[in-house]
Amino acid sequence: MRQRRTLDRRTLLSGTVAAAGAATVAGCGQIFAEAEIKEPDPSHTRFVMTVWGGEPDREAYQARVDLAQEQFPEYEIVLQLIPDANYAQKVQTMISSDTGPDIMQVAEDINVYSSRAQLVPLDEMIAEAGIDMERTFGDVREGYVFEGSTYGIPDRSGAAILYYNRDLFDDKGIEYPTGDWDWETFLAAATELTEGKEQFGFGGASWWPLWFSLIEQNGGHVVDPDTGLPQINSEEAVDALQWAQDLFFAHEVAPSEVDLSNMGPDMGPDGAFEQGLIAMNSTGFWAIGSLAEGDLNWDVAPFFRGREQAVSAFGSALTIPRSARNSRGSFEIIQFLTGVEGQGPIASRGQDVPANIDVQTSDTFLDPEWMDEDVDLEVFPNSADMISSRQFIPEWNQMQNTITDATATFWLGQRNAREMADDLQERLEAFIGPSSS
Amino acid sequence: MSALPTSSPTATVSEAPGAPAVLRSRRPRTLKAFRAGPGTYALLTIGSAIFMVPLIFVVSISLSTDQTVSSGQLSVIPREFHWQNFVDIFATTLPVGQFFINSVIISVTSAFGQVLSSSLVGFAFARLRAPGKRIIFYIVIATMMIPAQITMIPQFFIFTELGWIDTFLPLIAPQFFSNAFNIFLVRQFVTRIPLEIDEAAAIDGLGFFGIYWRLILPMMLPILIAISIFTMTAMWGDFMGPLIYINSEEKMPLALGVQYLTSTSQDLQTPPWNLIMVGSIFLSLPMILIYYFGQRYMYEMNLSAGSAGVK
Amino acid sequence: MTITSSAPAGTDAPSRRGAPRPTRQRMTQHRRKEALLFYLFISPWVIGFLAFMAGPMLFSIYLSFTEWDTFTPPRWIGLENYTTLLFDDPVFRKVMFNTFFYSLISVPLGMGVSLFLANLLNKKIVLRKFFRTLVYLPHLIPLVAVALIFQMVLAPEAGPLNQMLSWVGITGPNWLMDPAWVKPALILMSLWQAGGGTILLLAGMNGIPKEFYEAAEIDGASGLQQFWTITFPQLTPVIFFNLIMGIIASFQVFAQVFILTEGGPDNASQMAVPMLFDEAFVFYNMGYGSAIAWILFVVIMVFTAIAFSTSGRWVFYETEVRR
Repeated sequence: MRQRRTLDRRTLLSGTVAAAGAATVAGCGQIFAEAEIKEPDPSHTRFVMTVWGGEPDREAYQARVDLAQEQFPEYEIVLQLIPDANYAQKVQTMISSDTGPDIMQVAEDINVYSSRAQLVPLDEMIAEAGIDMERTFGDVREGYVFEGSTYGIPDRSGAAILYYNRDLFDDKGIEYPTGDWDWETFLAAATELTEGKEQFGFGGASWWPLWFSLIEQNGGHVVDPDTGLPQINSEEAVDALQWAQDLFFAHEVAPSEVDLSNMGPDMGPDGAFEQGLIAMNSTGFWAIGSLAEGDLNWDVAPFFRGREQAVSAFGSALTIPRSARNSRGSFEIIQFLTGVEGQGPIASRGQDVPANIDVQTSDTFLDPEWMDEDVDLEVFPNSADMISSRQFIPEWNQMQNTITDATATFWLGQRNAREMADDLQERLEAFIGPSSS
Repeated sequence: MSALPTSSPTATVSEAPGAPAVLRSRRPRTLKAFRAGPGTYALLTIGSAIFMVPLIFVVSISLSTDQTVSSGQLSVIPREFHWQNFVDIFATTLPVGQFFINSVIISVTSAFGQVLSSSLVGFAFARLRAPGKRIIFYIVIATMMIPAQITMIPQFFIFTELGWIDTFLPLIAPQFFSNAFNIFLVRQFVTRIPLEIDEAAAIDGLGFFGIYWRLILPMMLPILIAISIFTMTAMWGDFMGPLIYINSEEKMPLALGVQYLTSTSQDLQTPPWNLIMVGSIFLSLPMILIYYFGQRYMYEMNLSAGSAGVK
Repeated sequence: MTITSSAPAGTDAPSRRGAPRPTRQRMTQHRRKEALLFYLFISPWVIGFLAFMAGPMLFSIYLSFTEWDTFTPPRWIGLENYTTLLFDDPVFRKVMFNTFFYSLISVPLGMGVSLFLANLLNKKIVLRKFFRTLVYLPHLIPLVAVALIFQMVLAPEAGPLNQMLSWVGITGPNWLMDPAWVKPALILMSLWQAGGGTILLLAGMNGIPKEFYEAAEIDGASGLQQFWTITFPQLTPVIFFNLIMGIIASFQVFAQVFILTEGGPDNASQMAVPMLFDEAFVFYNMGYGSAIAWILFVVIMVFTAIAFSTSGRWVFYETEVRR
């Protein structure tokens, strides 16, 4: 009896291990194979395209996909919209199990994929198709180049711009801002426009794309473009950071986190500007939609300059993951979507700034039907030259998290720029190595 | 255990069935333990205020206009009543009706699977003796200690191999094999049922399966209802599983639809909080109703044979 | 605790009241049948475990000894992930401290709150169904909505919580932005959701024979005495269940942190599973994330084992759990 029981247990145990082991090998076998790019299979005509965003994005993308569908009746193009908070995780799961999309939207994290050979290099196909990348997309294209190869075609790209409240400027008799404003002119105007805690001259630059711009404007770099190493504690960078922090606590022309939360729960600079509590605010294209519906008297100008002209852009590119079955077909579709016709709905629906310069400078974008206010959209093509080519390092996500961690108390005024930058530099050096190029 | 003062009242349990009729007739008013005085109501008022404030927020935000939301002027007490939001939520391109049906299919099937399997497994752990049982029970409990996030990718591989991606199967199928939480829950409840009941039945010639099926299962009803409510609400509210396994819109559940509402194209953009709250209300309403009307089966079911219950 | 002690010991069964004692021979056959039936009854779990859990678990153990970005083949690095985590990662040290802090405070408090609520809601009150539904509501509302609401409730000056505190002369902290107060803020949120345990307690309370209370009332026991001598001991199996689940769930707290604070400011509210998630799905260090998972597994196991080992002294079962 006793013996029998032990046997039972042993059988049970070995059975468990055997079955589990088999499942592991069967299920996870593909990960032990070296990732390789598939030969394009022309018989594969169903293309899944993954994008993120909200309802307006879904509509704009679908309109573009419908146009592409007309262009390529032999293909079936399926749009798959994924909530932005879960996008990376979903595509990661898809790609690692070799069921990835055929066309994939990416942004700053493009080199997470390209550095691990998960994207198809596009240079050959670009050359064959005869696309003049520089003329069509400008400097924005450089963000999607990794170690000399292009992995993404720019799809949407708009610089951070300066929104301003005309009425508040008129009250003080101050000239409206222009792209020629430097830090001094800007600070003087912001000081003039501030009235205690009732009204603030500026929304602040504590969001990374804005102070990244300030560092570039001051001649510094967050990541050195040549070596790929962090340079956050250089003199230029520290001075720019200190200037940005001083806007909150020394000059008090921008509302701190606590000031904002006193204006209302869930309040950010964009909301405060919309309420007329802030005279100038810097953010991306997306604020235009709700401002156009409201009754604020507003306009836009290019972001101000420092010693140099530089501004961050928000955008995304279309790429082909290595798991795509028919990369040639994917490319044809991408080429169409980033061309003049395929970019149309981005502009005509007011979704975003199209990356294609021809569309950016066309009336579809500059004089759209949805905008009945007198707002100067030419600020976007005009800012395009100012966009600083950014280093989308492969460790981008980890860098972002580390920056958020290290700057948390800095933007609450509890540390100065030098102290914070030295700490941040040390944390970044822990995982960012020299780039291999 | 014998140190606990309760061992004396339990000894009376087996005698209980005969006694209560007499006792009940002599009971003129609610027992002290169940009597609600002014103190009770004072505590209830404070307690429900704490529970209510966040819920009033939900309602208040759901009635705000888009303008209020984008300019960040949300308030605790409703200041405006933009009922249009409750209509607008259905005006999206998302097939809301289909989402609802999918949610019903997923959560009802899952609850059924859990009740079926957990009652069997939990009963076995509470009542049947076998070599290795302790070890197996510890393995069951241990499976809960592994964060689900870490097994997600290998599980995705398995479901990919099985060809189950973009079907309900990765969500539903595992529910038919019970889970540690429910097994443990059933085990804890069944161990409170006096063993004498089983033994009496065994003398009457009932086998183990008969004891399970004819005796214990009906007594488990409250806990099985609890399990089905827990499973249903968990599956109803879960968006992570569907997000990973479902690709086609027409197969998505309602909870994923609400997650879609929170999605924007830039991380600094304000999502439509008013619609998210409307969506949350629509999403939670069916479960609130199920819970409200289902609870009597859970609470007012008499576990112990002898008690008359407070009605 | 060992297998051998449990197996044959039962044969000379402790004399069970009222049950006739069958012959030894029949007993053994009976026990074999019982054991067989046990394996049959638990087979759904065993099959599910082998099919969906065992493989992924073994795989993640393997991964914890590798460097794997989830895209390219894993690279074996031995114990490096573990040694880095345990001896060379200041963030992980902070995260483990936070996780302990959160668990060791939120679990006892949460159990206390849910027991208190259950006792309140077990009384004969008006609108009982309504109140009982109210305490469960926090579990039914999607977490994205809850997160926004808590951001509003916990706002520094405009938030209702600090406004209430100011009525009694307390200047409330800057909850979500202050490293010292962000963990208590998360604990507050967990207490708001403590109603899940209340349901089980209510179901348990309902099973307590009313005769116990009747007898106690005749003896002149006060309400509090009745609670401690009848209600509490009778509920110990449910309380024990809540304790074990509380330990396991609190050490694995994820969505609340992820949605409300994202671990900030400067990791002051970062916990083990959100860190693991970041490593695995944001930084693409699946091996490192797996190692965190298994360290956490051991920690949870130790605490659960402690809870189980004390259970014999305070958990009162109607009958012994049969082994």
